[in-house]
Order: sequence, then C-alpha cells, then structure tokens
Amino acid sequence: MAEVAYVNASRVFPGSPPVRAVDQLELNVADGEFLVLVGPSGSGKSTALRMLAGLEDVDEGAIEIGGKDVTNVPPKGRDIAMVFQSYALYPHMTVAENMGFALKLRGVPKQQIKDKVAEAAKMLDLTKYLDRKPKALSGGQRQRVAMGRAIVREPSVFLMDEPLSNLDAKLRVETRANIAALQKRLDTTTIYVTHDQVEAMTMGHRVAVLKDGLLQQCDTPRELYERPANAFVAGFMGSPAMNLKTVPLTAEGAQLDGLVVPLPRTVLDSVAAEGLTEVTFGVRPEALHLAGADEDGMELTVELVEELGADAYVYGSVRIGDASERFIVRVDSRTPPAFGQKVKVAVRDNSEIHLFHPESGKRLSA
Amino acid sequence: MRRFLDRYWYAYAMVLPVVVVTAVLVLIPLVQGIYFTFTDINEANIANPLLDRVAGYVSVGFRNYANVLSGDSSYGSFWATLLRTVIWTFCCVFLHVTIGLGLALLLNRPMRARALYRVLLILPWAVPAFISSFAWKYMFNSQFGIINQTLRALGLPEPVWLGQSNLALVAVIIVNVWVGVPFNMIALLGGLQSIPGDLYEAAEIDGATPWQRFRHVTLPGLRSVTSTVVLLGVIWTFNMFAVIYLVTGMNPYTRTLITYAFERFFAGASRDYAVASTYGALILSVLLVFALFYRGVLRRQGETL
Repeated sequence: MAEVAYVNASRVFPGSPPVRAVDQLELNVADGEFLVLVGPSGSGKSTALRMLAGLEDVDEGAIEIGGKDVTNVPPKGRDIAMVFQSYALYPHMTVAENMGFALKLRGVPKQQIKDKVAEAAKMLDLTKYLDRKPKALSGGQRQRVAMGRAIVREPSVFLMDEPLSNLDAKLRVETRANIAALQKRLDTTTIYVTHDQVEAMTMGHRVAVLKDGLLQQCDTPRELYERPANAFVAGFMGSPAMNLKTVPLTAEGAQLDGLVVPLPRTVLDSVAAEGLTEVTFGVRPEALHLAGADEDGMELTVELVEELGADAYVYGSVRIGDASERFIVRVDSRTPPAFGQKVKVAVRDNSEIHLFHPESGKRLSA
Repeated sequence: MRRFLDRYWYAYAMVLPVVVVTAVLVLIPLVQGIYFTFTDINEANIANPLLDRVAGYVSVGFRNYANVLSGDSSYGSFWATLLRTVIWTFCCVFLHVTIGLGLALLLNRPMRARALYRVLLILPWAVPAFISSFAWKYMFNSQFGIINQTLRALGLPEPVWLGQSNLALVAVIIVNVWVGVPFNMIALLGGLQSIPGDLYEAAEIDGATPWQRFRHVTLPGLRSVTSTVVLLGVIWTFNMFAVIYLVTGMNPYTRTLITYAFERFFAGASRDYAVASTYGALILSVLLVFALFYRGVLRRQGETL
C-alpha cells in the first residue's frame, strides 16, 4: 500500500531536437487509488509508467513511492509489480513457476510460495492450469497468469501496461470488470495504461489524459466527460467523439447553420474581451437530437447511419459559412433517418455545449 | 491409392531428384561400405580392370569387428582412439559453445561499429578450412612460427607444438575452435535476438540480478538453439578430418576414429578397405547412439529437435 507521486518528472530521449516523451509530469496518486493513464500512441503514457517501474530513466524531476524518493532506485527495490502488454511470461516455466518466480528469487520458503501461488490461482480461476506451460494456454488464461504473477508478490503498487489489448473484444469487456473488481478487493494502488478511452472511463477512479508527453487533465471520469479542460480531452474522451467545430460568434451566441445557440453572458463577455470572433464549439452526439418541424435547427444531410441496436448514429454534413462540416448525432434506433435525407438537428440542452478557445483549445465556458 | 497419386503426383515428382541423388551418393555407398565390413577386401584382392583381375575378396563374417573391437594396436587401438576422439569432441564443442556464447553476448549489446565486429568475427568461418589449417600450422612451427617467436621474445619455454606428444592434440583443438566459433557465435546471436526484451524487464521487476537474468531468461531462451548447435557440433567435430590431417598429418597423438579410417584406407603397406569400412560403420553407430540418447534427454526436458 503506498501513494505514488510524479514530481515534475521528465523523460527526454536524445536526438535533434531531443524528444520530451514525458514532459514535467506532476501527478499524485492516493493510496489504494486506481489511476488510468490514457492518450493516443506516442503520448508518453507507457514511458511514464516505465519511469515509475524503473525501466526508464528519469531525466528531470523525481518519482516517489510511499513518500520515498525512488528516482534512482532499481526496479527491484521499488516494491512494484508490472503486467506487460505481451504478458512477458517465462516460456520455459510452468504457470506455478511463473507466478512464484519473484518469491523464489527473494528466498521465500518453498511451502510458502506454493501456498501463495495456490491462493492467487484460486482467485483467478487458474488452479487447473498450474502445471501447464504458457504456450498451452489461451490468451485470456495467459493474461490471468500475468495478473497472478503480480498479485503473488503483494506489491505496494501494480503497474499495468495495456494488459487487455491482446484479448478479443468480448473477453476484454469481461476481464476489464474482473480487474476492476480485483483491484477493489486488494485495495492496492494501481496505475493502468491504456489507449482505449472506454477502458479509462469504466475502470479508473481518476483518469489522466496525456498528449505529446504533457498532462492535459486528471480527474474523475465524470468530470472529464462533463467538463473537459480543453478541446483535445473533449475530443478524446467519449465514443463516438464529440463534434468539435469552429463557428462564428454573434451578439447572441454561436452561429450554426439555421441555429443560434445562446451562450451565457459571462462567456460572451470574456470572449469579446479577448477580441475573438470565432470559438471552437463542442457538442456530444448524444446532446443533439432531431428537431421537430417547428423548431429551429441546422440542416443536416445524412451520409451514413450506423445502427447499434439500442442507438443509431447519424453521420451527416452541415454547411457552416462556406464549409461543409461533418456532425454525428445519436438518434433512436427505431426511427433512423434514411441516407440522403435532409433532417433538422438541434441541441437538446444548451448547458450541454462546450466552448474552447479556437487557438489554445482551452475551455471557455464556466 | 489411385486418387492419392492423382492428387499428389507433383509432390512426389518434386522430391524425386533429391531422393535419387541421396540414394546414389549416400545410400548405395553406405550399403556397399557395410557389406565390405564383412569381407577381407584390400588393394590386393579388389577387382582391377587394368590388371584384368577379378575380385578375389571373401566373406570373413564378423572377424573385422572382432579385430577392431579387441583394441589391438595393429588395428588402430580402437578404445584408446575412441577415448581420444571423445576428448577431442568434448573439448572442441565445449569451447565452441562457450566462446561463441561469450562473443554473441558481447555483440548483442548496442555499441558502435557493431556491424564491423560482426563481419570480423565471421571471417574465420568464411576462410576455407584448409587455409586456416595451413596458416595455423606455420604459426605452430617450433622454430619459425609466430607463437614460439613470441614465447621466445617473452623468455618463456618454447614447446614443440606439433610433435609426438599430447601437445599436438591441444594444438589441433585450438585450430578447430578457431574455425568453429564463428558459426556458433552467429547461431547463438540469432537465438539471443529472438528472446523478447520484455522478459528481461519482467525479470528485473521480479528482482532478478544480472546473473539470475542470464540463468533464468537467457539460457532457457537459447535452449532450442544450443541443443541444435551442440548436436551439429558433436557430429561435425567427431567427423572432423581436414583440420587434424592438415595440421598434424598422421600423428598417433592426434589420431581420431575418422583419421585412422583414412589412414587405413589410403596409407600403409596394404590399403585395407575392409578395416577402414569397419571403422566407418562403428563411427556411424557411435553417432547414432549419441543422437538417440541426446534426443531422449531433450525430450525429457520438454524440448523437441
């Protein structure tokens, strides 16, 4: 059990110019917390995790585990366990040997290793497979062995580097829930890296969004979804992605085709003070709806309808100014519009819109 | 059966040339050689069309085997020679694999001019064995060789390397190690590169020291390569003729089963084809027994070859 802290930690890969893979990361993780690091590829999330593991140097700043500075401590001395994307199981060892290897190296008595391995195997439903080699296991079973290897050590921090990305979709959803439940039960601080925002939203107590080595926002999934700090977070979290368009401003609000979305006075004032004539306007597909004939709305030409059973997503284009912009709207799947049809779309609730600075991408609305 | 042929005739047509070549070059000589071991064939009684002489050799049953296996010195002191062959093979293969592994480990780490080192280290293998052997023979020369010149300059004793002593065996082992290390190095380097890097990282996080990582990740990861390299090395070294013959000639202190078979076949008062063939058959059986035993050991360790 331990809290984890990145104190202005950077990893700079040499080159010209040098690549700041992780740039001045400042992040505190509480004891027992499940923190998800999420971002697109190349965002530095895996590097940040490997810095915590001690597999990657920390070029600037420090890393603390349990209040102790471990910046220059080798992985061995950090009391951590890691689950790799490839699982990294030792191919010549049986499941039981894989799980007990760390304890064996530590010189734990054989009987004690056996008991701990048996206990973890029971927890993960691996008892039947203890004598098998990894190559005789399915992908899901291997994943559980990798988890088991981490659990047996009883470390103060679990590190997981995209542990589900080699599983098929159904198993991934199942294992996702199992890992979250296991973490709750063990109450061990966990840092989990993924590129999948659904995993991030469903598993993390808090989610840290990274881009180009920079921390964009770290907050609870709900806060990230409802109040993204910038346009990148807004576009990255949520599926399908938020509609983000640059739109002109009028005295009343944001001007979309045939629809003026009124904006709060405070926002309009602050925008006017900066002398902006445009803003980045964001609205999630689920915050849009098909408008009735007597309502105001923007005219959308339907280009594609994705039916998912419960919902349907309508992809279509709207003319804003001279350009044609693509919007996604979530609609009831029982009455989807047809391809080529022109429909009227309106914002369901004006409090569900997000405004960002057109250049910096920073959140504008209160 | 008919449908089977209709369907797969082209596969058989494709392998036919190889089957024919193997039969002509391997199987027929093998069968003939084994047949000779039961006769008293030599230069005096073999069929010779030039002298208009018909074959005069007769069957002698197992007499050749009895003579050879008696260990009699007039039949090449079989058991002593076998022991020397085993020592020679063990020393060579052991040094091949350990030195090859050491160099492969050095080459597997990132460093400058790695490609250059790799080429330089493969070079001894690219040089034909007979050139290496002659080069070494000159270097071992007791008066003019560079080795003894160096020893002389250092004020150390200058042994007669290639004389009638066990030092000659040491010398041929050195030459054969020189010739054989590059192959082992390359094979083991390939093996090292196929070990995934995250296994080392996982072991590091599990708390393994560098030696424990070598012991528990590198060595097991190389097992399929080492088992192949050792089997090939044993067979090649056991049958290595060129290096021994070219460096020391027919020296009784470097006599192995294969060089004695050659000696018996081509040299001596009467070219004794029967005894030479008997040695050939015995070499084959020793290697067959070894290969079967080796496979058994590997299978027990859960590997296949």
